[in-house]
Amino acid sequence: MSNEVESPQVSDAMEVAQLSSLAAVDSHAGSCEAEMPSRLLNDAVRSLPYHVVKDLLSIGVCSRCVLRILGTEDHIYCHSSFSQSMLCSVLEEVTSFKSEGDFQFCSVCSGILQLSYRDDKETLVKMKSPNDMALVIAELVKKEGHQVDGFSLEVSIPQFILENESSLLSGMKKRYESEPWFQERLLSKCVSVKDVLKFAITKPLETLLDTKASASSFRIRLTYTHKMALENSVERNQGFKRRKIGTENGLQNVNDESVVANKDCSDYPANETIAVTGRSSLKVPIDKVSEPCHLVYLCYRTHIYLCGRYLKYSRNVSQTRWIIDEERMGEASVEEIIGSNILPMCRGDNYKFHAAGREDIDVRMLGSGRPFLLEIQNARQVPSKETVKEIESKINGLENKLVGVKNLQVVGSQGWTLMREGEAEKQKQYCALVWISRPLEDEDVCSISLLHDMQILQKTPIRVLHRRSPLEREKIIHWMKIERIAESSQYFLLHLCTQAGTYIKEFVHGDFGRTQPSIGSILGCRAEILQLDVTDVKMDSF
Amino acid sequence: MSDVMVDHTQKLEETAVPNNLEQQDKQDEEQPQQSVQENAEYEDEELHKHLVPDIIQLPLIPPSAVEFNFASYFAPDFMKPGNDQYVYRHANGLCVVGLASTHLAFKDKGGITAVDFNVGKSDRSGMKVTGKRKKNAQHFESNTALCKVCTNGDSYIVRCCVKGSLLEVNERLIKQPELLHSSADREGYIAIIMPKPADWLKVKASLLSLEEFKKLRVLC
Repeated sequence: MSNEVESPQVSDAMEVAQLSSLAAVDSHAGSCEAEMPSRLLNDAVRSLPYHVVKDLLSIGVCSRCVLRILGTEDHIYCHSSFSQSMLCSVLEEVTSFKSEGDFQFCSVCSGILQLSYRDDKETLVKMKSPNDMALVIAELVKKEGHQVDGFSLEVSIPQFILENESSLLSGMKKRYESEPWFQERLLSKCVSVKDVLKFAITKPLETLLDTKASASSFRIRLTYTHKMALENSVERNQGFKRRKIGTENGLQNVNDESVVANKDCSDYPANETIAVTGRSSLKVPIDKVSEPCHLVYLCYRTHIYLCGRYLKYSRNVSQTRWIIDEERMGEASVEEIIGSNILPMCRGDNYKFHAAGREDIDVRMLGSGRPFLLEIQNARQVPSKETVKEIESKINGLENKLVGVKNLQVVGSQGWTLMREGEAEKQKQYCALVWISRPLEDEDVCSISLLHDMQILQKTPIRVLHRRSPLEREKIIHWMKIERIAESSQYFLLHLCTQAGTYIKEFVHGDFGRTQPSIGSILGCRAEILQLDVTDVKMDSF
Repeated sequence: MSDVMVDHTQKLEETAVPNNLEQQDKQDEEQPQQSVQENAEYEDEELHKHLVPDIIQLPLIPPSAVEFNFASYFAPDFMKPGNDQYVYRHANGLCVVGLASTHLAFKDKGGITAVDFNVGKSDRSGMKVTGKRKKNAQHFESNTALCKVCTNGDSYIVRCCVKGSLLEVNERLIKQPELLHSSADREGYIAIIMPKPADWLKVKASLLSLEEFKKLRVLC
């Protein structure tokens, strides 16, 4: 494009031709954009105050920053096929600005909106259009093997860029505030760097990934950092008082929801270098930006959850991985059996197992099962209903039959609250195999069954006293029922329903008399417990 | 609980599948009231099968909770002839101490009349130990006095036997000294002490095992 001023009609026509051929590349993008982008852009540029555009361009502000600072709406200049050079040319053409010298990184955004950055290999990258950046992201998603049903795009940029911007804005206020266009444009409509970048990349990304941007568990994060920012951030934090928009670590908060950042100029501290006399000159803190930012692309999925109930058929399997001095206790753990069968189906990095309460390694978990929650980190794939059913059958069909699973399903983050409910309040039901030092009488069976909501006092059992506080805990035994065993007079099954947190073993043998009353004290003899099974964990929501 | 029990997982393979199970698969989608009930009953039956033990496998007299979970040690004539005490040590390191059945106090006619924890510099029954770290627990030597056991004619000092933190004394003995007669080895325990691992190793060397103690006192 020539730098001389041509008659508007002629340059218009040339540009329209050029732009519409570019626009034809991406016909997916939005409603009215098929033939209009170039026209919209031109109209928008023409409505800008030309002298301001020239001033900004002359201090090294890039074209996208110029457009956004002056409040131009995203969709006009963020078309995925509009390149930097094209935008620059349009601005220069329309405002008769003559740029001198070579390409420079923007003095405000340090090249972010010029789609320039250093990648993780320190190579300088200058993307032509937002489409190219979207391509890099799509490649990464494919390489990681993610299956996407939506995505959430996050951008984080160094703090000093915001400071550059606020500095510039306050300078502009000083210089232009008496002018008519100022009130309308500058005070409320400046669009943030992050929002512009996100807008520009989102549409082509939606096309490439064949899905929509939404509040998804799948996150795509672009993190821009700058050497200078890291060095100076410590200094800055010590030197200045806390600002309204300040955040830690010199990086802007990633979870920024607002589409248009409302900037109130009066909040910003004045740029020290602006001269007060006469018409203040426009300055930015850094005259020449020699280095662009460093960009890291990251895509990951936030935790997904699977919930269900587990059964434990073995008396030699712990609930969670239990290793003492490099030796495993028990032959397996519920956590590992369930986790190792689910993790590969989600192609996740890691899992975390959570259960509503727990039972000892030598206690079986039968009946309705115990509710659990399995957290999968960075799953590449969210399993379908069919896959989940397959996983359940697989676990239940394992040869060694140590563990079973029921009602397995993918659940949202509300799974947490559902689980916590069950732990403290609910009642638990057990079946214990008990031996007493004298023959069982019918009277005993009767008197036991008559006890309802009986309160007991338990001192912290000796077997856990080394790691728990010495306390006396009141617990309630809701009901009990003795089931005789045909061939024995001293062994019997004791079914009981108790408050959560009751130590059943100690309730049977008395724990040196530290649990009062105990089965032994109620029956007036010595009582021992040989086996314990949990037969019900009452929890409706699971 | 005992290791003697056979793991019931073996039983699962042998359980026959009742007829109504097939019915349930077909009706799974709709779940009419009747099959839900059948389902629940079937599950209860299944559960019950798991619960009932195989009596033949059970010992006539099972090991007690103490025998099963604690290692028994004895200190004969501790600090004084006739002062036989036991130390039951749990796998987690905690020690329950008390009077062995051969203690002189039991030979006294008229039996034990009182137990007094107010010995030495403080009343042992008054201390309050709190928290996981067992704050305020007093550190005692093995010869520190725990309590005084009184009979009609005499009194005997019971000592820690193990150097460590005193976590708890059996306050029930104050109101019910007869517990020492009915079960000195369970409800009649004297105190619970937490020794440091190094201190335990030192004292262990001077204690006798159950076998050695039986031989010494010529018990059957």
